[in-house]
Amino acid sequence: MIAKEARTEVLPEVLPVTKNKTWSKVWSFRHIYLFMLPAFIWYLVFCYYPMYGVLIAFKDFKYNLGILGSPWEGFRYFEQFLSDSSFYSVLYNTLSISFLKLLFGFPAPLILALMLNGVMHGKLKRIFQTISYLPHFVSWVVVVTLMQKILSPNVGLVNDIRDHMGMEPIFFMGMPSLFYPLVIISDIWKGVGWGSIIYLAALTNIDPHLYEAAEMDGAGRWSKLFKITLPCLTPTIGILLIFSLSGVLNAGFDQIWLMQTPATLSVSEILDTYVLKTGIQQGQFAYSTAIGLFKSAISLLLIVLVNKVSKKVSDVSLW
Amino acid sequence: MGVRKLSVADKIYSSVNYALLLLFCLTALYPFIYFLALSFNDGYDAMKGSIYFYPRVATLENYSKAFNNPLILQSFWISVSRTLVVTIGSTLLTALLAYGLSRKGLPGRKYIVFFFFFTTLFSGGLIPTFILYRELHILNTYWVLVLPSLYSFFNAIIMKTFFDGIPIGLSESARIDGASELSVFWRIILPLSMPVMATIALFVGVGVWNDWFTGQFFIQNENLQPAATFLNKMISEASFTSMTGSSSGSSIKNMNENQMALRGVTPEALRMTFVIIITTPIILVYPFLQKYFVKGVLVGSLKE
Repeated sequence: MIAKEARTEVLPEVLPVTKNKTWSKVWSFRHIYLFMLPAFIWYLVFCYYPMYGVLIAFKDFKYNLGILGSPWEGFRYFEQFLSDSSFYSVLYNTLSISFLKLLFGFPAPLILALMLNGVMHGKLKRIFQTISYLPHFVSWVVVVTLMQKILSPNVGLVNDIRDHMGMEPIFFMGMPSLFYPLVIISDIWKGVGWGSIIYLAALTNIDPHLYEAAEMDGAGRWSKLFKITLPCLTPTIGILLIFSLSGVLNAGFDQIWLMQTPATLSVSEILDTYVLKTGIQQGQFAYSTAIGLFKSAISLLLIVLVNKVSKKVSDVSLW
Repeated sequence: MGVRKLSVADKIYSSVNYALLLLFCLTALYPFIYFLALSFNDGYDAMKGSIYFYPRVATLENYSKAFNNPLILQSFWISVSRTLVVTIGSTLLTALLAYGLSRKGLPGRKYIVFFFFFTTLFSGGLIPTFILYRELHILNTYWVLVLPSLYSFFNAIIMKTFFDGIPIGLSESARIDGASELSVFWRIILPLSMPVMATIALFVGVGVWNDWFTGQFFIQNENLQPAATFLNKMISEASFTSMTGSSSGSSIKNMNENQMALRGVTPEALRMTFVIIITTPIILVYPFLQKYFVKGVLVGSLKE
């Protein structure tokens, strides 16, 4: 009881003359509000104002008329992209890339974490970890440059080796059939080490007694993995899965934009790159905002839905 | 871990494990070694191929060309100054926000948290953001490189969770002694929070250092473009011809003055060099901060 008492806030001794307790409490926190004021303003300007800006998806936007002043167009732009066949191929590409990333990329950090966990030598484990984080800290620009060079038909590493072996060079980055494998491999390469951190932490939180008890009962490596390790990691896996599922419409803008070549456009155009091209490069602001809004709305819906389902099924949720 | 006898199966398992990890680490490191070798090799010689681990015709020409090119230096300077400004500004401002969010008993805290959290769920998207920048008149100015990167709710949550772990008695007693909120924050909370501050500074710094997008689409002035953008432009300008291996005369005609100044080294070699230059600062910094950020990420992601 006493301990609890001590945890409540200390109010200034001289309270302003007001009957209202709430306001005097607010007043006592005035400095804290002041600390948060810049953040408040920043979020209003840089996050909430653009949210209001999505109105232009329903408008025939003209700069000189402003967002509110521009004439309404209703759902014209939504109808336009829903009847546009290239929209469906873009949507299809986005979903394909996302699902492939989820399928192959999601388990990768977990596997790496389990492997790292099997390294008993502490120093070696740290070295492995440090190296595995490295790609995460490098820009996609650099990663794609690395890929372009290594895979270049003009004495890139891979084609150089193929040449030594008497094989014909391949223009890897320009082949639509190789685009998805390259996207997935590079995505895993870049993110797997970083992604494993969370799992590693969760692994250290597992009570070692569980393993000891299981060993007494004669459990082998695999039964320990499936009966103890994985069940203990389920909440972590769940949270991360919620995040990935809700980002299904983000196929990874940076990576895709940088890896795209004119030859691979048919498979590499995703919602985000399409929005950028129609919007900033072609100046179709309203049309492109409509697509962006469509994407944000679906994403929001997804995250709420997935969170709800997860809460019900496994008690794991973001909020 | 107690000392256990390893069975044969254990030994096989762990050697396979080590071998795979070693292989993965080699693939994570090798591209940089490859680029390092190429960046120190004569560009025309490199065109013959077969350079894998070390330069064949060693030269510093690529680096001297890179460091003597005004446009490269300028982009580098923009990146360095931008990274410093944003890192310091963002870390402090985010800490203030996080400190506020961590204060128990703050009236309206639930709503305030939601106000910030909601922005991670829904965003206006690219075009409204572009229009915002236009209306703020920060397009094509240094401001657009700084202002939009100042806050991230994710970072605030990591910090908040860290602050939550600081015993409340510490700040309480200082407040009883008459310390103002600001001095409590500055003298007590911040010094205790150096690990998380370092973590967030690293995240912000790396993010800004690596950001090519802002420079690509919101900056036209060549003297304002960050290094990452410059690298990307360098790639896309010459990439198609060099990737397909067909460098025709027209590409020489299309070269601008700055590109002409870089003659004598191949664009390929220069790109390798620039990749090394732009990556080196990160490779130098992050291993030192590793022990912090591993903890920081955990604190931020596991609890709450």
